Amino acid sequence: MGNALPADHPDPNPGPPAIEAMNVSVSYRLRLDEGTLKGAVRKLLRPRSSSDRLVPAVRDVSFTLPRGEVLAVIGRNGAGKSTLLRVIAGILAPERGCVVVRGKLNLLAPGLGFDGNLTGRENIWLGGLAAGLEPDRLRSLIDDIADFAQLGEYINYPMRTYSQGMKGRLGFAVAAHLDPEILLIDEALGGGDAAFTERSKLKMAELCGEGRTILIVTHGLTSVRTMATRAMWMHQGRVEFLGDPDEAIARYLRYCRLQNLDQMPDDL
Amino acid sequence: MPGREPPDTQVVRARLGLGARAARLLGYRELLVGMVRKELKVRYKNSVLGFAWSLLNPLLYLVVFYVAFDLILGSAIEHFEIFLLSGLLVWNLFSTGLGAATGSIVANAGIVNKVSFPREILPLASIGAALVHFALQALVLGAVLLVLRWDVAWEYVPLLPVALVALLVLTAALGVLLSAVNVYLRDTQHFLELGLLAWFWMTPVVYGFMTIGGREGAGKALFMANPVTPVVLVFQRAIYARLDTGGGSSAPRALSGEGVTAILPPWTWGEYALYLGLTFAVGLVLLAVGIAVFGRLEANFAEEL
Repeated sequence: MGNALPADHPDPNPGPPAIEAMNVSVSYRLRLDEGTLKGAVRKLLRPRSSSDRLVPAVRDVSFTLPRGEVLAVIGRNGAGKSTLLRVIAGILAPERGCVVVRGKLNLLAPGLGFDGNLTGRENIWLGGLAAGLEPDRLRSLIDDIADFAQLGEYINYPMRTYSQGMKGRLGFAVAAHLDPEILLIDEALGGGDAAFTERSKLKMAELCGEGRTILIVTHGLTSVRTMATRAMWMHQGRVEFLGDPDEAIARYLRYCRLQNLDQMPDDL
Repeated sequence: MPGREPPDTQVVRARLGLGARAARLLGYRELLVGMVRKELKVRYKNSVLGFAWSLLNPLLYLVVFYVAFDLILGSAIEHFEIFLLSGLLVWNLFSTGLGAATGSIVANAGIVNKVSFPREILPLASIGAALVHFALQALVLGAVLLVLRWDVAWEYVPLLPVALVALLVLTAALGVLLSAVNVYLRDTQHFLELGLLAWFWMTPVVYGFMTIGGREGAGKALFMANPVTPVVLVFQRAIYARLDTGGGSSAPRALSGEGVTAILPPWTWGEYALYLGLTFAVGLVLLAVGIAVFGRLEANFAEEL
């Protein structure tokens, strides 16, 4: 198991890949003069000044994801997984490099909501439009989404009256109905009660089984084994390994074990 | 079919060109409409009078300025209420639109961090909401003028939509620019409040243009350079329609007559139009600057919010 890399496989999905990342780099900035007037002015004039202390989050990442594949991204906290996801989703601009995305794309992240004063229905409308759904299609979907969220009459109440769990259900319902060709899932960010996690796991398995292109950031190694067709291990912003899921997990776990051994003397 | 890209292909890179930016914005126009409606709905949420505030606000201003200027300071302007409202409504459109637009990106940080959509929509929606309030107020003013059988200067009425568009371009330009700056420098929002107050008194809304425009000196040049002034002037010229306290509204004439004070400049139609054209030009230049700055700064929005 795990000795054949996907690069050796003949490509089962002809056509251009769904996601192509080319030399993507992102750095977060720590500004020493943060909060001062001088620093603020400089920040405006040169948002990407070379004198800032850079904290690289994603370093020179290149990969392609063929259509229909499920790619799991694993790695420790701070490895740059979520940052990479946000770049692909178009929320964060890369510092260098570019990403080509072919097809409608959505990021499934918890906590959608424009305004607590708007009703659930109004939030679905704005959230769907912002996510790029066609207005006509959204109109026809809005009742399905409301049903799926199981909010009952609350769907017509302002969202500030919702419990945290209700908000989560609504956000998930919208995301699950956007029906994108490419779905980005940030599971590492997710939180919620056991029932909700279970529910979303089921839905994700369902989504993965429909021939979609999926990129999922996760800490759940079991789901990587069962759902992913390939996996990427990121470490300190770099891609350490990209290929067979079992091989990726094996290498990641080996690394973790090594780390623990190194740290043990310190702990004693 | 190698080389053919599907229609949904997007390239995520550091910056977007102006054309691509405009095309993307156009694709999201329904979201813009939805956001305007949201702004309108949320503004007067939980207030008893609700939307009536939109009309009450200029009326209360009118009362305050009437007492201060007409009763206490003894302004020589006849029908002060019509004079004030003809300029105040456009000023309010500018100041409320710009104020709301400046804070819009920060106010919607939650959604900016989660979904990728053209961020310009947020300041533009704030201005759109201000425009709806303006339209409502203008309707009521129109009705009042009808009841009073007020003589407007009809030949200047065709300039009103032009003036409105010029003002919207200017407001959008500054709103887009300042909304992006405000993400990095939250002081912008607070500074703007004060800046708008100073700007208001530099604009001939409460006093007549000729109070300052009739003088000479360096101050006058600054006063004339205010791009909101031409818009206000055109509205006053068309609606208030009186050049001086002698009631003159036709050809320019000697203004030094006994007891006659000039209010609006005795310019020709062409001169008013030309002055308005300057606002348009300034607005378009600022819009180009604003979009360029916005495009430069928006890459780091998610990082800064």
